[in-house]
Amino acid sequence: MKIRLSHADGRPLYVQIMDEVRSGLVRGTLRPEDPLPSVRELSSSLRVNPRTVSQAYAALERDGVVRVRHGKGTFVAPGVRPDEKERPRLAREVARRALADASRNGLALADLMTALQEVEGGGPHRDGRKEGGQ
Amino acid sequence: MTDMAMAALPIDLGSGPFAVTTQGLGKRFGSVRALDGLDLQVPEGAVYVLVGPNGAGKSTLIRTLMGLVRYQAGTVSVLGRDPADRGAEVRADIGYVPEDYRFGYAWMTVGRWLEHQTVYHPSWDAEYARELCTRYDIDPGRKCHTLSKGQSRRVQLALALAHRPPLLLLDEPTDGLDHVVRDETLSILSEHLADSPTTVVISTHRVYEVEPLVDHVGVLSEGRLLGQLPRDELRGGLLRYWADVPEGWSGPGELGGRVIRRSGAARAIEWTVWGDRDAVTRGLSEAGAAVREVAPLSVDEAAVALLSETRREAS
Repeated sequence: MKIRLSHADGRPLYVQIMDEVRSGLVRGTLRPEDPLPSVRELSSSLRVNPRTVSQAYAALERDGVVRVRHGKGTFVAPGVRPDEKERPRLAREVARRALADASRNGLALADLMTALQEVEGGGPHRDGRKEGGQ
Repeated sequence: MTDMAMAALPIDLGSGPFAVTTQGLGKRFGSVRALDGLDLQVPEGAVYVLVGPNGAGKSTLIRTLMGLVRYQAGTVSVLGRDPADRGAEVRADIGYVPEDYRFGYAWMTVGRWLEHQTVYHPSWDAEYARELCTRYDIDPGRKCHTLSKGQSRRVQLALALAHRPPLLLLDEPTDGLDHVVRDETLSILSEHLADSPTTVVISTHRVYEVEPLVDHVGVLSEGRLLGQLPRDELRGGLLRYWADVPEGWSGPGELGGRVIRRSGAARAIEWTVWGDRDAVTRGLSEAGAAVREVAPLSVDEAAVALLSETRREAS
């Protein structure tokens, strides 16, 4: 599993680590009972404070996403079904970001919905070209 | 004037436990006040970054904690001891990377110098020292005076870490290092923190480099603290607000927060405000501003905003 952090992101680092684990489950790169990197390994590869990784793992454990087996490490919990809980949660996260981006550009929800349907359905913006650019 | 009255942001971290504290710390060099009633609080186990412009007193403060500079006012406690009268004991428990990259005796080999250090640090971990020398590509056969600035820095870092001290004082630790070695240093520090319980004070101009490691921030200016608080509180309480405002907008009379910096254009403002996010957003909205976005600042940006406020007030 590859975890990537963005320091320009407004989310705290431990939340970004949690979200990366959750999106790994949705994408299928992480499956139930898979081991996660140790706190030492992950903090060293991300160059973050080990406490940040511990904080993320502890919060994921509270949410039932991972399980800590003492002396063995941290594993994805056996019963996690990404489709039931994680997909909608991740979708809401993506939606929140898209909405924030839209409002920054002075767009309303309706503008965004229309554009999403157009792009998905092969509308005028399908090729990513500018309007009237053909 | 006390720090409390001067500071734009909170500087009181509560009741501890603290690895390092100073109260009303003062130091003059001739007519220059290097430290001016400084109340430092470094919680045990914290990674505390000291930010501030050149001449703010960062190096003087660190050297005072090491017992290398005699202070003239206030009190200092480093791991429960006063470095002014128990300097040698205090230094044995500290891993120190000084601002100055020169070390050792010119004629001595690096290996001999490292060996020499084990006398001062009973907790020296020889196996770890060898590992650090390998990772830092340090040749123990080299004479100290033949090392470049970057090579000296690597020896100083290995030296500071190898006795696994309870306190690390790092003054511009990545100064003189190239990109690869700087990155390796951050990785080494992360592992070190995972393996050994350590309190760290880092003074640096490259805050963005160490930001992911940091959990406490102190902003220093002219020997005083402008703010001293946990990184998460800074992230949650000091925010930048972008808003569209009507032509000729004069701003709210009362804003549930303290404006640290005003910038932006005629109809689109960009304010940095310390205060409760909801209260500030409400205050701006009630005054007729349409808040488009609210975002936290990096430690670098926060320091720049605070320091520019101080300069404006002084002028």
